Amino acid sequence: MKRSTVRCAGLAGTLALALTVSGCAGSGSGSGKASITFWGWAPGYADAVKAFNRSHPDISVDYQSVQPGAKGGYQKMLNAVKAGNAPCLAQVGYETIPSFATQGALENVAEYASPDEDDYVDAAWKSVTLAGNVYGAPVDTGPMALFYNKKVFDSLGLEPPATWAEYRTAAKKIHASDPKRYISSPYMDYDYAGLAWQAGAKWFGTAHDSWQTTMDSAANKKVADYWQSLTDDGLVSGAPMYDQAWYTGLGNGDIATVVGAVWQAGTIKGGVKKASGDWAVAPMPQWKEGEKRVGNSGGSATAVLKGCDDPEAAWEFAHWMSTDKKAFGGLVDKAALYPAATGLLDLPQLKADPYFGGQNIYEVFADASPHVDPDWTWGPLMTKTSTDLNDGLGKAWVGKGSIAGALRTAQGKTRTEMKKQGLSVSD
Amino acid sequence: MTHLADPVRASAHRSTAGTSPPGRSRRPGSRTTRPGARRLRPLLFCAPFIVLFAGMYLAPIAYAAVSSLFALHRTGLGLTAPTARFDPLSNYTQALQDDAFTSSLIRVALFGVVQVPVMLGLALVLALLFDAKSARGKGFFRLSSFLPYAIPGVSAALVWSFMYSSQSSPINRLLEPLGAAVPFFDEDLALWSVANIVTWSWAGYNAIIIYSALQAIPSEILEAARMDGASAIRIAWSIKIPAVRGALVLTTVFSIIGSAQLFNEPTVLQPVSGGSISSTFTPIMSAQSAVAAGNHHYAAAQSVLLAVAVGVVSFAFFKLTERKGQA
Repeated sequence: MKRSTVRCAGLAGTLALALTVSGCAGSGSGSGKASITFWGWAPGYADAVKAFNRSHPDISVDYQSVQPGAKGGYQKMLNAVKAGNAPCLAQVGYETIPSFATQGALENVAEYASPDEDDYVDAAWKSVTLAGNVYGAPVDTGPMALFYNKKVFDSLGLEPPATWAEYRTAAKKIHASDPKRYISSPYMDYDYAGLAWQAGAKWFGTAHDSWQTTMDSAANKKVADYWQSLTDDGLVSGAPMYDQAWYTGLGNGDIATVVGAVWQAGTIKGGVKKASGDWAVAPMPQWKEGEKRVGNSGGSATAVLKGCDDPEAAWEFAHWMSTDKKAFGGLVDKAALYPAATGLLDLPQLKADPYFGGQNIYEVFADASPHVDPDWTWGPLMTKTSTDLNDGLGKAWVGKGSIAGALRTAQGKTRTEMKKQGLSVSD
Repeated sequence: MTHLADPVRASAHRSTAGTSPPGRSRRPGSRTTRPGARRLRPLLFCAPFIVLFAGMYLAPIAYAAVSSLFALHRTGLGLTAPTARFDPLSNYTQALQDDAFTSSLIRVALFGVVQVPVMLGLALVLALLFDAKSARGKGFFRLSSFLPYAIPGVSAALVWSFMYSSQSSPINRLLEPLGAAVPFFDEDLALWSVANIVTWSWAGYNAIIIYSALQAIPSEILEAARMDGASAIRIAWSIKIPAVRGALVLTTVFSIIGSAQLFNEPTVLQPVSGGSISSTFTPIMSAQSAVAAGNHHYAAAQSVLLAVAVGVVSFAFFKLTERKGQA
């Protein structure tokens, strides 16, 4: 309890109350107890908080469940910050951290958090920082891999492709075997971002107190052109991801792969129960043979909201929840979260599953996680950027316009809005 | 506000003046209440309404209108809370120059011009059929045409998205042997695919409103027409339809407003539309995407412009039908 004594001294000094040292470091009752409110929606958080409160008598965390971020949770948090009654901690997706930060809704906790930096995977740590500020503790990540229908691949004598060139060959063979069969569905917003992420095709960056936009970079063009050529050749299904048609395709072999994050395991398993035993996981195909580069899609942090009056205690809880073996084991079981902490990649809960033919798919992800490119920054208006991007991608995947064009247009609209709001954007 | 409170106040005055002359109705010994206080009393009874009306209705409108006059302002990376600067024209200028927003306005206008007459024409025919003397199974048809209205708009749109989606469309599967397919999400057809859902949902509802207006026609008029030898079609054309003019005007105005507020159906269809339905397909979707960009002031300006446009169109329609009625 190094920090409780520090805080105790601080309290005794600043408040100058008749607060004895024993009363402060003691049983936890009385005015020395820090109380932290935490808003989130992942199942399992409530239990983690209970466990924390039992083992940390000097801090009391009050967990309140809110709607998932995109379904109103984020708006509630921003409103609360504006109204000055926000909780100390909130569950915030990595892609939303810069949007929150640029609305002045996050507290920089670098002074408490920095010593713990090495406990987290590089890419996850980068996701909670912006321009040198640290805004919270990474909880889970979404390292990517190749989910493939082993039954289809085996029946055609195909091995899971190790490179994108091999992936294209497999795509042709699969489509040739049955005109209804495709290697994949189209990827939209954050799923597509994971593909760009792997290739080091950054979308945003910050330098000299100014935003950079690079959605039209050469690296992005390479990724876009690759998928464009697949769809131009009719090798990509028209079924939108997460649509009923997509689940049907995953189940009957019409959609043979999903290049996706670790949590897609839950999506596939939950959405197509009858395909049990058909699916397996291989590492993400590479742009250069023998390389080991991985993209990320999704993941969230326990962010410290603006106005938190005890950011040190807030950090202590946030860090504990992300790194405590037992607590995180519960989160793996209940919410299928994949840990951002380096020490937890071998949790016993991350085990083989009969759904994936008994393969321990998490070995693939544990191998992938440290290789996620840490050089990725989300933009300050991601909700807008992603909807604008989807407007273009939706067309591009069915042969109207191009993926590269969709990226260019989304970037243009984002830049216009950023400039209009007065944000500094470098050319 | 005043025009709503006035009749109440006036009638309250009449009743005090008529039934209880000052001094008489009071308890013995109580002094006559001052006229000012007496005038306040009915207002007190209206207070719950006025407070709720002002708080829940007027205040949000005023808030949106005021908010639309401010422009969001941030600097650098924007790591401090944004400020709002008073700049009354900036959001409106932006909205009128925003192609996505103006084309969404034109889109719903086109939608209204085509879909509203089609739907109300259908509703009128249905209502006349429900009302026809020779019709059988009226109760069943009335209920079944009304049923789509009872299905929440989002659920209906989900079912339709399944019917339209090129991967699952049972309609196209039926047409497959004929070598035909309806491209429901073609760039030019998407708007009418949406119109189809709206028509399906609302035609029965409007038919019931028109049908209830038909019930108010005195039976002797209809009987007289029949005795004069008018055919059923002639009666419908010359008596029934003119008699339900009021209901038709009302349903038209409701439908114009509904068209302007188009949101649920296109939003549900958007992910399966292959990009034909964009995130700024309708004005409200466009305002929503401004909210998504964290720019509430711009969204407020778009909403105000939409409200003004709807107000002008509805008012013009009322005036137009009124003049025709007097001629």
